[in-house]
Amino acid sequence: MSKTAKDHAGLAADFNKDPERVSWHDETLWWVRAKRDKAAQGIPEWEALRETASGIKAHTLSNLSAYLEAFEKAAIANGAIVHWAADAAEHNEIVLSLLRKAKADRMMKSKSMLTEECHLNDFLKARGVETIDTDLGERIVQLLDEPPSHIVLPAIHRKKEEIGVLFHKHLDTPEGSADPQLLTHAARLNLRDVFLTRNVALTGVNFAIAETGEFVVCTNEGNADMGAHLADIHIAAMGIEKLIPKREHLGFFLRLLTRSATGQPITTYSSHFKKPRAGQELHIILVDNGRSVQLGREDFRSSLKCIRCGACMNTCPVYRRSGGHSYHTAVAGPIGSILAPNLDMEKYADLPFASTLCGSCTNVCPVKIDIHEQLYKWRQVIVKNGYSGKLKTASMKGMAFVLSKPRVFNFSGKAGRWVLKHAPFIVNNALNPWYKQRDMPEPPAESFHQWYSKNRGKRS
Amino acid sequence: MRVGLFIPCYVDQFYPQVAIATLELLEKLGVEVGFPLKQTCCGQPMANSGYEHLTGGCNALFTELFAEFDYVVSPSGSCTLHVKEHLHVDGSEAAAKSVRSRIYELTEFLTDVLKIEHLRARFPYRVSMHQACHGQRGLHLSQMSELVAAPYSKPERLLKMVDGLQLVPLTRPDECCGFGGTFCVTEEAVSARVGQDRIADHEQSGTEYITSADMSCLMHLEGILRRKNSPVRVRHIAEILNAE
Amino acid sequence: MSSSRDNILKAVAANQPELLPLPQLPQFAAYFDIPLLKFRDVLEGIGATVLSVSGYADIRNHLATHFDLTKPVYSTIAALPEFALRPGSYSRPQDLHNVELIILPAEFGVAENGAVWITDEALPERALPFIPEHLAVVIAEDAILANMHEAYLQIGQRDYGWAAFIAGPSKTADIEQSLVLGAHGPRSMTVFLLKMSGSNPDPS
Repeated sequence: MSKTAKDHAGLAADFNKDPERVSWHDETLWWVRAKRDKAAQGIPEWEALRETASGIKAHTLSNLSAYLEAFEKAAIANGAIVHWAADAAEHNEIVLSLLRKAKADRMMKSKSMLTEECHLNDFLKARGVETIDTDLGERIVQLLDEPPSHIVLPAIHRKKEEIGVLFHKHLDTPEGSADPQLLTHAARLNLRDVFLTRNVALTGVNFAIAETGEFVVCTNEGNADMGAHLADIHIAAMGIEKLIPKREHLGFFLRLLTRSATGQPITTYSSHFKKPRAGQELHIILVDNGRSVQLGREDFRSSLKCIRCGACMNTCPVYRRSGGHSYHTAVAGPIGSILAPNLDMEKYADLPFASTLCGSCTNVCPVKIDIHEQLYKWRQVIVKNGYSGKLKTASMKGMAFVLSKPRVFNFSGKAGRWVLKHAPFIVNNALNPWYKQRDMPEPPAESFHQWYSKNRGKRS
Repeated sequence: MRVGLFIPCYVDQFYPQVAIATLELLEKLGVEVGFPLKQTCCGQPMANSGYEHLTGGCNALFTELFAEFDYVVSPSGSCTLHVKEHLHVDGSEAAAKSVRSRIYELTEFLTDVLKIEHLRARFPYRVSMHQACHGQRGLHLSQMSELVAAPYSKPERLLKMVDGLQLVPLTRPDECCGFGGTFCVTEEAVSARVGQDRIADHEQSGTEYITSADMSCLMHLEGILRRKNSPVRVRHIAEILNAE
Repeated sequence: MSSSRDNILKAVAANQPELLPLPQLPQFAAYFDIPLLKFRDVLEGIGATVLSVSGYADIRNHLATHFDLTKPVYSTIAALPEFALRPGSYSRPQDLHNVELIILPAEFGVAENGAVWITDEALPERALPFIPEHLAVVIAEDAILANMHEAYLQIGQRDYGWAAFIAGPSKTADIEQSLVLGAHGPRSMTVFLLKMSGSNPDPS
């Protein structure tokens, strides 16, 4: 983190300056969690699905090099062109070179969190290439010139009135109209023109199948398909961890994905791309960008099982009340907080601490990533690497001293109780963050230690 | 059977009545209870802040003090979970492992070891249950709403044994209270907001007392209740199960 | 000088853990009694129109009374020759942007999620299920499978170029979680459940 950039706590405090908006954000996402619960409760074998999907992903990660080679071989045999990108910069250069080769200065893109991670849109814009995001939520944040706040619901932080104002400005919708139906229809018409006129389409990849070389793209809107089936060049960007071994494994993942994400049994479209259309070029870019490093971290490698459903965000009491932007990273929330420190430990040192470790995320995760346990472990790593404040370290050392010495402990407690009783103003003031919105506990006359010594004597 | 009573540091210093209730309740149920006077803390505040490597002193003290007991019982889900998962002592790992395997949170001790079916207790009030996260998702004191699995609750089963007590339901039965250890001050805005929302949920249930197996959650919730001059009170489950 | 491909594969091979076995894949029985009823239920719940028909006369009837057949309407189903998409009648898929309705056959449906399976094996243009204002699908009534596991068993090792599960009309809830039917794909979906034994929804 730069010294001036705000961390999660600071950004979350800003978010909480508008309590009504926090209520709305919290209730909207809790409702999505409730829909997920309803969908899951309807499947008696839900927990067995999670367990199996988790096992398939764990196996895949343990055999990833072989599966990557198998996928590449099968994809090439299908007529696709396979590229490898070590990092975000290389991914962006590959996309650019494909556009240049096609003499294209415009591109349409369906949802890809990987391209957010690589900051592709800005990279291309600086080089004279226009990218239009065709997913409605992504298009909204694109017009607002801000990043998506949620990996599945990109504009969840925006109210329909704000979108109405935005669309009135950019799409000529009637002033004051906030009707989602009307606004969506305006976007449909506007983006239809994009679909019909752009020659290059970039999609993400939800799952890639090692045995067949095909990949699956899931959308409700149909925008990935509209782009891919009309463009002469289809570029599919995928993280190397998106592989699964066999086509039949899709049965497990497609049953879990959308139910976990939104509570729907499946997305409207689950599109399996195997071969390019006649006369079309199909390019697949396999991106590392830190994933192979995470793979080597024993405590954190299972974070690569993630299928990007967003359930952890919807259930997280902190995410719901701080918003995706307060995590200042492409993939936010609980999963983001265990992925990001691997990319830049200093910049994202605050994220594993943006949690109460309640464990809800771990238990909604369709692939059983032990998210809250990894958050705890990242805290140890971050402190060991020196990214915790000097003041914090000093006070922790102080605490360790007090808590390992019974007499000091008892004395400190007694002193604290005395202060609270006789000079509460020392603690009850603006310097004490607890005191801002909560009263301090009432100081009792004596500690339990003292009571026990008095009332139960030498028995111990 | 000799039980070593482990009292969380903040309970010892600020809520002794919870410790007294725990002690009295266990003794009422025929348990011989010892309280090692030299105990201080389980080390969780430091460990959760990333300073697990500083907890060696706490861990050694804990293991030494509780080695002699058949069971260690604590009126705190989060402290019990922390010891169960993180108690390690260089050079005394066998002893640490033994303590880890013998430590119980109060309601799980009453349910799984003492296997009590009746309680001589009376608390004729409307009570709402705060399912503390570490106890629930870590110690499995009750079923969590995230899983597709049969419902159960050790604390609630015990509360139902209390004469006159009326358990009132919440709209979000197991959402976190927002305390989160040092989180309560490092992320004050979110912590307070989460707590306020929990309070609103409890208030809409018509509750008179919020209870929990964790005093840290109740300390945080009580701070908010008192700030808004709410008539709702908090009471640790040990105090309710011990009430006559 | 090694390529990114080499570097990535090397890093992955070095960092991946010791091989964990693939888990045994459990078999799941349907948790509902009648796939056809579940299929209807789910599909109607997600905003599609579901109709049981005994033949193409019924289908024609419905199309005539519910769609504007003066606009471009096409079908790849041989039993609906009046809607045939003649090769050479368009040069690029973009040319089909004014199509009002497309009627396609689907190989099978999946009861648990109301999805139908369509492949490009008899599809002249992959854009066809997406580009029209409205989509209609004809599927044999007895071609409804229980769940996705049965679906992939049926699909087996089929070598398509492209295929998809399609469940209802296109939709979005990106504006304040308000569900709107009709995003970029078709604004409506009609599923004709054809009562036929020997079930080929497209008898040529």
